[in-house]
Amino acid sequence: MLKRLFALTKAGIQESLYFRLGTFVTLFANLIYLVLVYFLWKSIYASAGTDIVNGMSFTDTMIYLILATALFNFLEMYVVWDMSRSIQSGKIILDLLKPMKFKTYTFWSYSGSHVIMFFLTFIPTFIVVMIVTKGAIPMGINLLYFVISVILALVVNFHIEMLVATLCLYTESTWGINIVKETIVLLLSGASIPLAFFPEAFRKVVSVLPFRAVYDVPLTILLRKEGADNLSGVLTFCGFQAAWALALILASTLFWNFSVKKITVNGG
Amino acid sequence: MEQKAIVMKDICKDFKVLNRHEGLKGSIRDLFSRDFRTVSAVKNVSLTIEKGEIIGYLGPNGAGKSTTIKMMTGVLEPTSGEITVNGNVPYKDRTKNSENIGVVFGQRSQLWWSLPLIESFNLLRDIYMVEKKDYEDMLDLYRSLVDLEPIINKPVRQMSLGQRTLSDILAAFLHNPDIVFLDEPTIGLDVSMKAKIRDLIKGLNENKNTTVILTTHDMGDVDALCKRIIIIDKGQKIYDNDIDHLKSYFGSYRTLSLRLSDDTWEEHLIDESKEDIMQIINEKQQKGGIKDIRLQEISTEEVIKKIYEGGV
Amino acid sequence: MSDKKRDIGFYLSIYRKILIQDLKSKMSYRADFIISTFGMILTNLSGFITFMILFRNFPSINGWDYHHMLFLYGFALVSLTPVQCFFDNNWNLRFHVRTGDFIKYCFRPINVFFYFMSEVFDIKGLGQLAFGIGTLIYAWSHIGLEVTFGSICLMMLYLVTASLFMIAIMNFAAATAFWMEGSGNVMVIMFRFKDYARYPASIFNKIFRVIFTFIIPIAFVAYYPSLAILDPSEAPVMIGIAPIFGILFFFLSYKFWMRGVRRYDFTGS
Repeated sequence: MLKRLFALTKAGIQESLYFRLGTFVTLFANLIYLVLVYFLWKSIYASAGTDIVNGMSFTDTMIYLILATALFNFLEMYVVWDMSRSIQSGKIILDLLKPMKFKTYTFWSYSGSHVIMFFLTFIPTFIVVMIVTKGAIPMGINLLYFVISVILALVVNFHIEMLVATLCLYTESTWGINIVKETIVLLLSGASIPLAFFPEAFRKVVSVLPFRAVYDVPLTILLRKEGADNLSGVLTFCGFQAAWALALILASTLFWNFSVKKITVNGG
Repeated sequence: MEQKAIVMKDICKDFKVLNRHEGLKGSIRDLFSRDFRTVSAVKNVSLTIEKGEIIGYLGPNGAGKSTTIKMMTGVLEPTSGEITVNGNVPYKDRTKNSENIGVVFGQRSQLWWSLPLIESFNLLRDIYMVEKKDYEDMLDLYRSLVDLEPIINKPVRQMSLGQRTLSDILAAFLHNPDIVFLDEPTIGLDVSMKAKIRDLIKGLNENKNTTVILTTHDMGDVDALCKRIIIIDKGQKIYDNDIDHLKSYFGSYRTLSLRLSDDTWEEHLIDESKEDIMQIINEKQQKGGIKDIRLQEISTEEVIKKIYEGGV
Repeated sequence: MSDKKRDIGFYLSIYRKILIQDLKSKMSYRADFIISTFGMILTNLSGFITFMILFRNFPSINGWDYHHMLFLYGFALVSLTPVQCFFDNNWNLRFHVRTGDFIKYCFRPINVFFYFMSEVFDIKGLGQLAFGIGTLIYAWSHIGLEVTFGSICLMMLYLVTASLFMIAIMNFAAATAFWMEGSGNVMVIMFRFKDYARYPASIFNKIFRVIFTFIIPIAFVAYYPSLAILDPSEAPVMIGIAPIFGILFFFLSYKFWMRGVRRYDFTGS
């Protein structure tokens, strides 16, 4: 079984590489994008007049945002679009007939591009950030915690995607539901602006939602912020992710099974 | 002298393709590869098509059929050779060429996906600047050939495949073009829909004297519609003549079916110029006895199959 | 045989007819319409929230205070509307190219670029337009700028120019699909660059200012024109001829796009 799943991963890697020029462009453009983030926040901090705002120094903010972007590229999925195209072309029927469960199949197919993106975007970014910030990223056991946390983030992210993608079975408004999902995830996960800058009340609400499990939690663990500097703190964070991961797996599976049954009955 | 619909003279078309490598390592190597090779898709093809003909344009997959069609429609420029369509050089003035042709390419609908068919027709009328009277005459003709009522107000996205194909064919004839290219118009359709589509094509061809170039893998289409067929394989024209001629050319072939003593049927494709049917029957009879005999003329399908397999 | 002339009037009338039909059919998919509108409002809201959070923590950016930044923000929203409304089909280009579907656009006796773009009118862009205009008016009144016939005209001219720049950028990005696979990345990245159009280009160093002025001209989407309106003495001299640049850049992007079509045909894929 595992061998078959890894075969999917491998095929995914090959397909990603097949996008010759595209791969180069991604790499290059990400670097440019990061430079933009740098300039923006540099001037923002310069205008502020103080070095630390809401417990975040310029370097902290930079590392946070740059790695959030790198995580974003690494975690990005188009499950919603894939699903809607598959429904419109009627290919969904074939997908449902495949011996592997649709969800398993999708997850492992994406894992290939995840592996590629991890090495092509995340690792180089991480190394550059590490060198440029000269030791601002703590180097120790937190790296291991970070990797674990990223894997949990991946699971959470995938199931949010699946949950939303299942909605495609009900509506043709792919653009609409996708943009709603993306907007909510990006804003509430801290990918566009660190959660530390949010107003207190807002932050309290956001901190219990699943979205922060995708970007904010792994980065907090990596940077050893907010109590993630000891094992129990890390465990709390990973526990938070794992709990949401379980809840989302359950929710998306139930929703998917329920919906599939419904279309099969309706013969859609 | 009457103008020919299509004239092609020594047409060649080459493509450059990247050599891709196998496996994971190969994919990485391809990232940097400049390793191109030239592939000739079409080699020295010459042909002349008269006005009002229905041509069956056949060949196995990848033989160069769609490349030729693309050159005729002005989408592709030939590497060398001369081509004229209605007296124009298609790739030089694609706009002018496309006014005089209609195209149905595979199963890809060219109609506005979310619009009712009649609105698509109206838009096409504007795009092709069809006179009101001609347009209405055409719609009348359509009504006399098919039942438009179930589809005329239906959005294309809600149509069945058959209805969509029908609509696409109607749309291709709407501006009364001189030539219509139909690429596998009956693929994936059921038997009765196939018959309907064939009748429609025949009807439109007869009424408007439209030249029809039909690519298909369905010999039923060919038998029902085409007098003349052109076969292309590996980029070269290998047959260009009447379908009757094709049969008489291969007429010495017959299919002999024998029911043997164990009640199984055995089929032999026999070239009468080389083998003697009676001799085969005698041999079989001596070996184990024959219960029943059937002798059939070869079908177009089998002739084509033999040609594709390299039997010319 | 035929001497049919297809002039600009012809194209406008065709576009108008397609648009009317398209709107009619969109209205019949009410759920889709509502969800999309909701999504559009949400993205705009989210942008605002980010903006507010930023200004809650930091009073100004590089000398641009809250209202001036709002002006920039509103300007960007309005000038990004046309690309959203009329050229949204660029996002589908790579799928059409990859599946070979694109060929169907090549058989009509009308301009391929026009035909392709006319297929999609994105009504959701209108929400963005409303947001943008609202923001602009609010910022304008708080900054205390005079409202004159001249200033309104200038504003319009710059908005059109800015739109042309953005349309051109997206045309270039989308047309890369004709040359390479995975061009979706290029589009996504350009689309993300546009988020930086709403910040003063003065925050970047010289190299990037040059890039954003001459190569990927997002500085023209909001910064330069806003500067020309808010603080003409600070604006670079060339802003005066920006409309010409805008047209030129759009034209180049169109040519590039059409070259892609030729190439697509040649590979015959």
